[in-house]
Amino acid sequence: MKKIALLAFSIAAAAIAVSCTKDETTSRDADLAGVNVAVGEEKGTFSKLFVLNEGNFLKNNSTLDFLRFSDGNYVSDAFGSMNPTVPQGLGDTGNDLALRDGKLWLLMNGSSTVHILDAEDETLIASVAIPDPRYVAFDDTYAYVSSYAGAVFGGEAAKGKVFRINRKTYKTEGSVETGCQPEGVAVAGNKLYVANSGGYNTVHDDFVSVVDLDSFAVTESRTVASNLHFLTSSSNGDVWISSYGESTWTQDAEGGWIQSMSEPMGLYRLSGGVSSRVDGVHVSCMTLCGDVIYAVGNDEELTGGYALSLYKVSTISGKVSKTAFSGTDAASVGNPYGILVNPENEDIYIADASYTGPGSVKCFDKNLKLKWSAVAGMIPGHMVLY
Amino acid sequence: MRKSVLIFILLTTGAAAAQERSDTLAGASVSSTFGSILVPQRIDSGELKTTAGLSEAIRRFSGVQLRDYGGVGGLKTINVRSLGSEHTGIFIDGIQVDNAQNMQVDLGRFGLDGIRSVSLFSGQKVSVLQSAKEYSSANALYLDSGEPVFVGGNDNFRLGLRFGSFGTFSPSMSWEHKFRTGESLRLTAELVSSGGSYRFRVSDFRRFEDGTVEGYDTTMIRRNCDLGSIRVEGLLFSRPESSSQWNLHLYFYDSERGLPGPVFKRVDVYPLSEDRQSDRNASLQARWSRRLSDRWSLMWRTKVSRDFLEYSDFPELRPELDPARFRYTNVNGYVSAAALVRFSDRLRLNMAQDFQYNRLDANLASFAYPERLSSWSAVSGMMSFGGLDASLTLLYQKIHDSSRNGASDRDAVMPSLVMKYNLRDNLTVSGFAKRSYRMPTFNDIYYTTAGAKSLKPEDAVQFDLGVGWTPCNSSGPHFAFKADVYHNRLRNKIIAVPTSNQFRWSMYNLGEVRVLGADFISSFEKTVGRDRLGASGRYTFQQSRDFTSPGSVTYRGQIPYIPIHSGSFNLFNEYRGWRADLTVFAMSERWNTSANLPPYRMSPWVTLDAAASKTFDVGGNDLSVRLTLNNILNRQYEIVDNYPMPGLNALVRVEYSF
Repeated sequence: MKKIALLAFSIAAAAIAVSCTKDETTSRDADLAGVNVAVGEEKGTFSKLFVLNEGNFLKNNSTLDFLRFSDGNYVSDAFGSMNPTVPQGLGDTGNDLALRDGKLWLLMNGSSTVHILDAEDETLIASVAIPDPRYVAFDDTYAYVSSYAGAVFGGEAAKGKVFRINRKTYKTEGSVETGCQPEGVAVAGNKLYVANSGGYNTVHDDFVSVVDLDSFAVTESRTVASNLHFLTSSSNGDVWISSYGESTWTQDAEGGWIQSMSEPMGLYRLSGGVSSRVDGVHVSCMTLCGDVIYAVGNDEELTGGYALSLYKVSTISGKVSKTAFSGTDAASVGNPYGILVNPENEDIYIADASYTGPGSVKCFDKNLKLKWSAVAGMIPGHMVLY
Repeated sequence: MRKSVLIFILLTTGAAAAQERSDTLAGASVSSTFGSILVPQRIDSGELKTTAGLSEAIRRFSGVQLRDYGGVGGLKTINVRSLGSEHTGIFIDGIQVDNAQNMQVDLGRFGLDGIRSVSLFSGQKVSVLQSAKEYSSANALYLDSGEPVFVGGNDNFRLGLRFGSFGTFSPSMSWEHKFRTGESLRLTAELVSSGGSYRFRVSDFRRFEDGTVEGYDTTMIRRNCDLGSIRVEGLLFSRPESSSQWNLHLYFYDSERGLPGPVFKRVDVYPLSEDRQSDRNASLQARWSRRLSDRWSLMWRTKVSRDFLEYSDFPELRPELDPARFRYTNVNGYVSAAALVRFSDRLRLNMAQDFQYNRLDANLASFAYPERLSSWSAVSGMMSFGGLDASLTLLYQKIHDSSRNGASDRDAVMPSLVMKYNLRDNLTVSGFAKRSYRMPTFNDIYYTTAGAKSLKPEDAVQFDLGVGWTPCNSSGPHFAFKADVYHNRLRNKIIAVPTSNQFRWSMYNLGEVRVLGADFISSFEKTVGRDRLGASGRYTFQQSRDFTSPGSVTYRGQIPYIPIHSGSFNLFNEYRGWRADLTVFAMSERWNTSANLPPYRMSPWVTLDAAASKTFDVGGNDLSVRLTLNNILNRQYEIVDNYPMPGLNALVRVEYSF
């Protein structure tokens, strides 16, 4: 049952674009052939777009792909090709992908492992055992990984944890207990903010835990909304949190019953310790680029309709602008599981998961005109630019 | 979704034999499968003795995919002609074994003691005094209990012991008794205890452009697959007068097993799965039939059953926490009345009316407590003119579901036409067309975490054309050949789809599958001196394409787990009470999704099994010994993705009858 709930939860994450430029060197992965999907894609300072496919839960089919900007080739399962002797590959259910100082951090939820790879050639540097890792954030010394810490759906209520991994030694240096089933994490100032979902409990959690990074202890809890999910911090120190929403059961005209949303998958802003709702935003996935949060969600989720829209939220003014997918090339997106924005040209990458087979990664320009599309692995959900 | 389990919840050498007809109830006891216009694939008791169990026997049918999760305790279900296991009814003496929760029946629950034959109908079974429900499944597997036979005494005893690989130890006994009043009784009991663990290999090698090959090959141990079970059955047969008979069948099964789950990568400090499952199934079923006159015969069937399942999800990563325990109780009551009117030798009419009640209880929060009332009404006309036999059936099914959250009704009309024409004595052409519907299961509708919708029944249409040839006389060598081509179309397939709110899934009628298939079966037997030699082969071609999402990468892809080519070959030799069997099973590549791309490909496999048996005469009683060696080539293969099958394993069976 936890797997179902997990499947439920392991759906999307905002891979936060870490603006990071690299000089051009040829790496061994340059030999990997791929499918040419992005003809004429202009190469900026980024050399690759990495895509982590979550894989189907307990199918051990999570894979790491990348698009190479130099030739527009999309390379599938780069980890498997660059690390063929690692038994059972990447493992099961990649839940988050992040880049820091030229290293990729891959959080494998089902495998209870965090892999650290060289972003240059996807070779494995280290693997750290963490139970049920969910999302990762960094400061100069540590990686902070939120963890369900072994709780099972329908079982004993158990608090989650944030584990602290030393970025030099790749050793775990302690953990701190948070709310139940913690999800998104971000560092702002000297604090780590942790979104708690409590998704395995009948009554969900509704608060953000604040961890002081000097003492590595929870110092405050901030009530935001029920069933929290993504969390990111903007340059002005504000924290932005999305929720999974809440649903209820109702009867349809034929007497069958149907699950519907009573609370939206909304966006909340935590500023100066005070939480407020950002009205009119629905978050299936979100990402921060500069001073703008990009989110994709279903504008009609409360009324049972399905109308995907792109929301841009200024992290300075809080102003929201909305563009409906319908009528644009983005209307082809079925299940947006992940989003990333290229800070150089404002291209929007959307990971579109399919329920019948492999998903796809679609690149749109800022006017939602399709630039290219690539067949990804199972349930693509997390992306970073390198 | 390892826990999807949770929500619940031969060889027909007889191919194309002459039509089996038994209109009259007098004489030999009526089997629930004799008298059908279409002759099923059948394994009789003699051959059943050479197989290791029901699931092994079923592999010998053509057109069948046995879904086997591996090991002694691994779930084993049957899928016929790519329609899905929900479309295959399993019948014991003509009464269906139900699972309203997910319609998946584990074949591991059934023993072969006293089973006279196992038959598979790929399509429509049409025979006399058939219940309405028997017309409803797209395909049907029949287990027929034979009436005890007494030779010079009123008691038969049998003691048996099976033991072998995986720490398997299984004693069994049966007692048959003939009462002075004429009734006969069979009591059987079987205990199974198995440690279950086995070694398996996980490997993957890649070829790089420069020609180098790199990869890994590692050996692991399958753990948490132990099984303990007890099965007790009692059957009572009676024939109070020549025109009537009845029987009672009491069944009890209790098991507790580990659920090893799929194999995936996990750091060594944590086990893969510690989950457990307990099942307790009890049922009582009865049949009574009577010939009223030359024209009228009646049959009445009834069954009550209770199935309990407890699934325990252990927090492997935090052993100090309590597991989550999910308990389900399924209660079922069934009654059927069938009447046969025989207007003449050429025209007969079968009418049947069945009712069933199902209820599912669970200890889940906000569970719907669904109840279902079902009704099946069938009329079937059977005609015989010269060499032509035909039947036309109309079946109407109506179900009423109610739950804490409301009620809903669904109904369906299912017509079928079966024809057979004897071109010559030894050459027949047969065919059928059939439409059947699978009603949504309780899981489909009341899955608490997955959302629910008003679902339509799944729609299966089947067409089949076959030819059978048995070109030999009774004295010489025996040869039989049968070929079928078929087209199946599955629409409104019920599949889980994520909703706008992506972490909640809902059930929709979306899927469409089209199947083009062909089955070929042939067998040959010959006696040379004291040797009896036999060979048989089966080959199945199945192109089962997914037409669900036009434009997607899965469109027109082969559906998961269905091989395009599969087959088996069996050789046996009998010599002075010895029998030796060699069996090869082979399957071509498959994919674990409808996207037929390299990452989702599953390797083809071949296995070789052998069995040797001998029956000794010990003081006038029979002592039979059988050795079965499975997967002699020790090939590592998977039927279900990430569920590795065991390598070479051996089983010894000793039986003493007195």
